[in-house]
Amino acid sequence: MKRTCSSLLFAVLALGVSSCTIVENAPPDQQAIPADASGDDARTAIRIKETFDSQLIPFVRENALPISELRAALEGGLVPTGEKHGHVGSGEGAAWNFPISGTGKVVAANLDSRARSMEIDTDDDGAADVTVQLGPVIKGSALRDVAPFYIYDDFRDQIEFAKLSRAINGKISEIIAVPEEEVVGKTATFVGAIALKSATEAFVVTAISVEFAQ
Amino acid sequence: MKLNRRLLLTVFAAGLAGFGTSFAANADTIAIITPSHDNPFFKAEADGAAAKAVELGYETLVLVHDDDANKQSELFDSAIAAGVKAIILDNAGADASVAAIQKAKDAGIPSFLIDREITATGVAVSQIVSNNYQGAQLGAEEFVKLMGEKGPYAELIGKESDTNAGVRSQGYHDVIDQYPDMELVAAQTANWSQTEAYGVMESMLQAHPEIMGVISGNDTMAMGAWAALEAAGRTDVIVVGFDGSNDVRDSILAGGVKATVLQPAYAQAQLAVVQADQFLKSGSTGVDEKQLMDCVLINGDNASNLETFALK
Repeated sequence: MKRTCSSLLFAVLALGVSSCTIVENAPPDQQAIPADASGDDARTAIRIKETFDSQLIPFVRENALPISELRAALEGGLVPTGEKHGHVGSGEGAAWNFPISGTGKVVAANLDSRARSMEIDTDDDGAADVTVQLGPVIKGSALRDVAPFYIYDDFRDQIEFAKLSRAINGKISEIIAVPEEEVVGKTATFVGAIALKSATEAFVVTAISVEFAQ
Repeated sequence: MKLNRRLLLTVFAAGLAGFGTSFAANADTIAIITPSHDNPFFKAEADGAAAKAVELGYETLVLVHDDDANKQSELFDSAIAAGVKAIILDNAGADASVAAIQKAKDAGIPSFLIDREITATGVAVSQIVSNNYQGAQLGAEEFVKLMGEKGPYAELIGKESDTNAGVRSQGYHDVIDQYPDMELVAAQTANWSQTEAYGVMESMLQAHPEIMGVISGNDTMAMGAWAALEAAGRTDVIVVGFDGSNDVRDSILAGGVKATVLQPAYAQAQLAVVQADQFLKSGSTGVDEKQLMDCVLINGDNASNLETFALK
């Protein structure tokens, strides 16, 4: 009798438990946000509010490596350079991400596309050696992945993780001002983040600031 | 006398067979459970995992759940009953699979997930998933570039129950929706199926002959769409897929489909087996549970280096 009762109870529990979704308790200030996908946007907004200005921007500025130094360091290999100066993205095959700064002449610019960019010559050899993304459409997730404080495990899934990157990239067009007139020929100074999967890969910078001088 | 000898031989043979069976059961078995092998992607996963398992000295139990969570649950029961030591799984539903994996965990069998995530951590030991969102963004960026950042296009969406269908679609729109001159005129599921995609593409073309591009959630649908476009004489349409299959590779090299995004399926499956082996031997994989694997854009520049979901 007892065994029948307990196995019945067990069966009921097992059936009940398997149809339940386990929802983790969020910290008090997030109590109202649902833990599933519908809460992604709210959580992303909080992350941006709490980290973009106070942590991410200062982190990139304070750790930005001058481009010539980064190039020199890369001659010793991508991984040692990454371990010393950068942060690796989550998972296998992910790029190493570096905060970077540089100055040079704008050799070419594509300002018609939604993914505006300019080619800059920082080593004075007449040829462009770095591309700077100006937005509004930003490719890649270098600005998210350069920071050690955004950890994939803290996110519900890759979509929520990607939404953070999108939100970060979306802020770029708010903080970067591209002049109306022709930029080719001007000197530009930039600070931002790049992602490298190999030591010889072309540098494409996601900028957090760009300044132009005659 | 003859009867006795025959009896003796029978008993002896049975005894040997019994000995043989129990000897084989002593070799540890790893179960490999994926969707149907009709899709070369899942076949490559199963082959990759099996090859690594055998290399590491395991027997394998290869099963298919056909994207049915109930069937998957039954297969888990079989695997548990067969006493497998670990399960490599490409699951049949991010929410629905959690229970089965928990069941195995409770029976002392660790699970190592590939390709698709589940919506819980702490249940499976590893979740090695392609960064489908990142991959979709790559595919969409190439698509937008080839479309000249403008024009009417259609989207073929994957099977609704597969979490990756939604992830890729979101990834595509994350990029494409930033271009106001790109116009989505039709979006429909073709359930990952080549034949279904053919039919859907035909209908879309009839309703929207102005279509200039098609972005597809996977390669089998892209192949179906391309076949329909060819039949309609519309080889001017830009088609981009996802997965990195040999079929699409060949199409890219022949100037058909323009690009796809490689999920390193073979490598992923092998990595899962390596981590399972590590876990069984030492109690830990040494890495975090959730591991993303970046996808790689495949177009005319690198298609010739692609073979069975791996770039040479």
